[in-house]
Amino acid sequence: MPANLCITPELGSEDMDPEVTTRMIVLGPRANVSESEVVNHLHLLNLPLTIKWTCYGAMITGKEKYVMEAVEELRKLDPYGIFTKERGFAPGDPRRCRGHRYGPREGFHQMEDEFLLLDYVGEALRNPREVTIEKKEPVSLEEFKEVVEESLENKD
Amino acid sequence: MVKVAVYPPNSLILADLVERKGHTPLALQKQIRQKIKDPEIDSPPMNITEEDPIKGLKYAAIEVPSGVRGRMSIIGPIIDEAEAAIIVDNAPFGFGCVGCARTNELSIFCLRKKDIPTLEVTYPTSRDETMDMVNKINSFLDNLNELDSDNADNADNTDNEDNE
Repeated sequence: MPANLCITPELGSEDMDPEVTTRMIVLGPRANVSESEVVNHLHLLNLPLTIKWTCYGAMITGKEKYVMEAVEELRKLDPYGIFTKERGFAPGDPRRCRGHRYGPREGFHQMEDEFLLLDYVGEALRNPREVTIEKKEPVSLEEFKEVVEESLENKD
Repeated sequence: MVKVAVYPPNSLILADLVERKGHTPLALQKQIRQKIKDPEIDSPPMNITEEDPIKGLKYAAIEVPSGVRGRMSIIGPIIDEAEAAIIVDNAPFGFGCVGCARTNELSIFCLRKKDIPTLEVTYPTSRDETMDMVNKINSFLDNLNELDSDNADNADNTDNEDNE
């Protein structure tokens, strides 16, 4: 059966509420907490939120003030290992959720790329230090000449 | 608090760093959320309506493909609202959500052309480069705080002068 890519969702009152927002909680590779700890902590906050446990961390939906409160509390667990960003679609929305369609979710490849950098970003936030980046420059003409002449001499 | 446009507009790292410094990241997800709440728009492949390319005319000429104009109708308001911008250059294919090189070029051009503080960083490929990128972004955001407080002081002075 072909995947239905044009699902019409049944939007509830929460979906239509302009104050409701969704946040993705992404754990860095060296985070000191696990996904389950994050979700348990979110439940223990006892805020009116919808919480979804995911492979990268969690997703929370609710009124913006509660969501931000939860994010602030959550950051205290591991300030340099927990990253968050907003998400347009609510958790389980059939237009994005993989449970209803094939292939990776839109945005997966972006998150995969960024996840590889999260370790370094966390480290840069934890211990900021000055670094000097060596700029790669093209080989100079003199050096190139030397190499060519040397190889020609060796050939003889 | 300064509204900072980030490019790619859905970047987790950039949005998170901006938020950590107390500023507001202008992320694309907010615009998308407004669109998906519209009960008349059903499904993602068809969630651009005929109105969108018309709205995009504000940012691109009529000769520009409708795909670019449709995308600009969503990204354009972010650019209009931006008070500062952070742009990542030389990112690999797949980094970013726009899916259109021309829209990326036009959006970055619009951000550069706008008279706002802009930071351009190169996509990091190593530990040191990431450290350098984070340092640059953090110092840029700290400077925005100073600019913001200066502007607030100037606004207060103007109000006081008006009252006098």
